[in-house]
Amino acid sequence: MSIRDQLSGLTETEEGRRRQSIGALDRETIAGYVWALPYLAAFVVFLLWPLFKGLWMSAHDWNPLLPSESEWIGIQNYVELMSDPFFWNALWNTIYFVILTVPAMVVLSLALALGVNRNVKGKTALRTIYFSPYVLTIAVVAIVWLEFLSTDFGPINYYLDLLFGIRIEWLTSELFAMPSLAITTVWWLLGFNFIILLAARQNVPGRLYEAARLDGASSWRQFRDITLPQMRNALLFVVIIQFIYQFQVFGQPYVMTGGGPSESTRTIVYYLYQSAFNQQSYGYAAAIGYILFAILVGISLVNYYVIGGNNE
Amino acid sequence: MSDAQPEKSITDRVPRSVDELTSNLTLESVAVHAFLYGAAAVFLLPYLYMTTLSFQPRSTAIDGVPYWIPPEFTLEHYQFLFENSLIIDWTINTFIIAGGATVLILIADSMIAYSLSRLDWPGQGVILGIIVASFMVPYYLNIVPLFTIIADLGLVNSYWGVVLPAVASPLGVFLLYQFFKDIPDEYEEAARLDGFSNFQIYTRIILPLARPILTALALFMFVFNWNAFLWPLVVLQDNASFTLPIGLVSLLNAQIYRPGRTMAAALIASIPLLLVFLVLQRYLVRAVEMQGVTE
Repeated sequence: MSIRDQLSGLTETEEGRRRQSIGALDRETIAGYVWALPYLAAFVVFLLWPLFKGLWMSAHDWNPLLPSESEWIGIQNYVELMSDPFFWNALWNTIYFVILTVPAMVVLSLALALGVNRNVKGKTALRTIYFSPYVLTIAVVAIVWLEFLSTDFGPINYYLDLLFGIRIEWLTSELFAMPSLAITTVWWLLGFNFIILLAARQNVPGRLYEAARLDGASSWRQFRDITLPQMRNALLFVVIIQFIYQFQVFGQPYVMTGGGPSESTRTIVYYLYQSAFNQQSYGYAAAIGYILFAILVGISLVNYYVIGGNNE
Repeated sequence: MSDAQPEKSITDRVPRSVDELTSNLTLESVAVHAFLYGAAAVFLLPYLYMTTLSFQPRSTAIDGVPYWIPPEFTLEHYQFLFENSLIIDWTINTFIIAGGATVLILIADSMIAYSLSRLDWPGQGVILGIIVASFMVPYYLNIVPLFTIIADLGLVNSYWGVVLPAVASPLGVFLLYQFFKDIPDEYEEAARLDGFSNFQIYTRIILPLARPILTALALFMFVFNWNAFLWPLVVLQDNASFTLPIGLVSLLNAQIYRPGRTMAAALIASIPLLLVFLVLQRYLVRAVEMQGVTE
């Protein structure tokens, strides 16, 4: 075989190899798309598309029966929202609910997590008990607490009456309705935070405490200088996720109070739900959704910088 | 979780002096135990009250005294629910919706996670970025436009109307992507040399290695979709198409106040999940822990 032949043979195989590798690349690209397709289809149709359609709807006086007849009104829905007393009432109610639930939930779940992390008996059982309400639907939780807090028949009022001679209108007075929903919520969701914080506490290296003890650090200083900083990321996550989650509260007032008494427990998502599905104001409800979105993004950023920046 | 690092528990357990030993065993330890077990009691009482009420006749349920053990035992509420309500239909609906959503989520999520982590194609970084960014979108922002889309597709009152939007959740994609990308390349290279196709690598290598995380994700998604409230409330408008959470709440609209009946229904709706929870708790705990770690 001449050199020339060999050379041409070489180029041929190289070319062939290159062609093959282009083919392989194409095949991999095609395979990549094919494997991604089922999820992407659901993602685009049921998540992305509604996101943009919602913005479009919020700029219309949306006609649910004849969408094509909907009138373009620009930012009119948003303008109207700003002067809607029901919207502001729902916003303040929601903020009040968040203030009642989030700090209580984080502090209590941290206390339980640090407690269970110690050398206590029955760790596994305790963990199961605290975590268990989390697997219940809000419908069950709300119905059970409806009876638990019942003014005339519930056990809480029965014992209050027995001990102090008082009965509290837990769900039917403006003063107690929202705190009652908050108590219910803390019972329901505490376990989620507890699990995350317990895992975070167990990941703190024991030698840090050992060293601190040799230095004679008090348990308060160990908590402040080791436990809290070491658990910072988990605490940040729990706070942010609970802010976002509690801001979207719906089932508790829907089942337990119907938003009452005197709309004192009507929250933003409840108002959104009623605007859309009771009053058929789809465009208006879509605008509420976007305001909610803006608020939640704001909360996440503030939380991130306030809590996240604390120990830098 | 339950097998905590021995290094730490030993150092935590060894007291430094006799003083510390006694104080640990007495005051502090007693206080901690009292706090933890007191909290546990508070957590358990609602369960006990629900169970007790469900086995009481209406007369004792509304006599103003809360009983922790039924003074009179009856199965009338359960009998009524099974004979005169749609609770069996609701249970079947809930199983189909939660089960169907879980299966579809596992298939779709693991496929795209495989594609994003093990295959190389242009634009995958952008798509992963968009999916991760969609975590920021609050679920409720979408319900109004989503409902119009479901209505346009003719899926109101159907299983698909509830299940398909559930498949769009980005959580599983993200969790599985994180896991898949850490699987060493050697497994896959060896398999490719043996002439394995993508499908064979996916089914014979990736999925078996990912079984623990798939189980955790499956359990989490099953519980989540079993319990979903607002979206089924919007989509399922016909009594017979309700899931358990929605049907349960519809029972509250009865003319006569019968706490026993609603408690019995609540118990029926929770028991499957509580049983699953007790048996497979560690997987669910794992799913929750993973969410804490990934953010």
